[in-house]
Amino acid sequence: MGYTTMGFVAGVLLAAKGGLVLSPLWAFLTSSLWVTGTMSIAGVQPISERAPLYAFAAMTLAVNFRYAFYGFSMLSRWRSAPFARKCYLILMLTDENYALESSCRIHEPKAYLRYCTAISVFNHSYWIAGVVAGAVTVCLLGFAVDPDTIRRHTNGMEFSMAALFLVILTDQMKGLLRHGK
Amino acid sequence: MGNEILYMLGVVAVGFAVNFALRALPFVLFGSSRRELPAWVGRFGDFVSPVIIAALVVYSYATLRTAAGAPCWLTPWPYLAGALTVALQLLFRNPLASIVAGTVVYMCLLNCGCRTVVNEVEYDIDHPLIRISADGSLYFKDSPVRDPNELAALLRKNNVPKDATIYILLDEGYNDQRALWVLRHNYLTRAGYPRSAWIHSRRAVSGRPEEVGRSLGGSSTPYERVPRRGTETNFRR
Repeated sequence: MGYTTMGFVAGVLLAAKGGLVLSPLWAFLTSSLWVTGTMSIAGVQPISERAPLYAFAAMTLAVNFRYAFYGFSMLSRWRSAPFARKCYLILMLTDENYALESSCRIHEPKAYLRYCTAISVFNHSYWIAGVVAGAVTVCLLGFAVDPDTIRRHTNGMEFSMAALFLVILTDQMKGLLRHGK
Repeated sequence: MGNEILYMLGVVAVGFAVNFALRALPFVLFGSSRRELPAWVGRFGDFVSPVIIAALVVYSYATLRTAAGAPCWLTPWPYLAGALTVALQLLFRNPLASIVAGTVVYMCLLNCGCRTVVNEVEYDIDHPLIRISADGSLYFKDSPVRDPNELAALLRKNNVPKDATIYILLDEGYNDQRALWVLRHNYLTRAGYPRSAWIHSRRAVSGRPEEVGRSLGGSSTPYERVPRRGTETNFRR
């Protein structure tokens, strides 16, 4: 549920602020291939400014650097997975999926893999549905309302990026403090 | 449009590649062998990620802008909304609720209150900032300017972005094109405002009825745009 609503916000943001044609298509592609809420929201600004691709790559690297550390705790648990499924699970290694999969108590490897795959597929589809619905809503609204009006009324929405980072930072600091005790 | 599609395909591809590479990194490094995981990896991750995210918070605050393009980090609004976001996250641990609440509060504060704090002026064609009267005296927002050197400072003080078009209203009877050029070139372009244009005012006494007496944007002097070749020049071109 959280995934769909968050995706909806990201989709609205992309369509309203990205200044793109065919925004539902891009919403679908980014949500299905990136599977990262942070970048879907934070990436809207560089897209709207048509930032060069290397800058975009650098930003993605910085924003999602934490993902590089999620895999370590999955190494041994996913060792028996077939290659294609492993690739899919790796692609789906988001904050929420990681939290669910690493705290799961199923020890039998086959059942555990089934559990991980099911979670990934469901969350993936919720996410895509949310982002595309958000973008389509703004597009349909764009036929009825002047795009300039939409832009004026979404003024300030870019704060969601700052808020997202603040939330991640808060959670990380909390984790660090608990770790230190 | 073709360019845009290519660009977005590039963005999608780059985002996919970087995300997947980051997530696959541990599996590539340690997946095949049964090498033991060095202990510093976990500690490094615990330390580096918050630092990067903190830097991103600073970056996203620095890029916040008002509708007119003035920087927002000088106002208290993003900090109030940020404090609310963090507080909600600490209390309820619901990321979506924290983000949406913080953003909505920020949007309200920005659109209702920001103008009272940041000195913002309207500077579009309906509200020309600079006026030159028939005898050649210079005005900035109806107050006389003695030294044209002060213009750039006034524009900066009013948070007019450097890439905005600065409209200069010429009173009827003013026709010193050379002085106008000097003003735009020496005192605006060289001071960092390369885009400027001039418009003519016209007294609302005679003329075609559809052009006369049309008070644009609540301005007290009715005038109209006089389309003319080279009205707007970008000196940087």
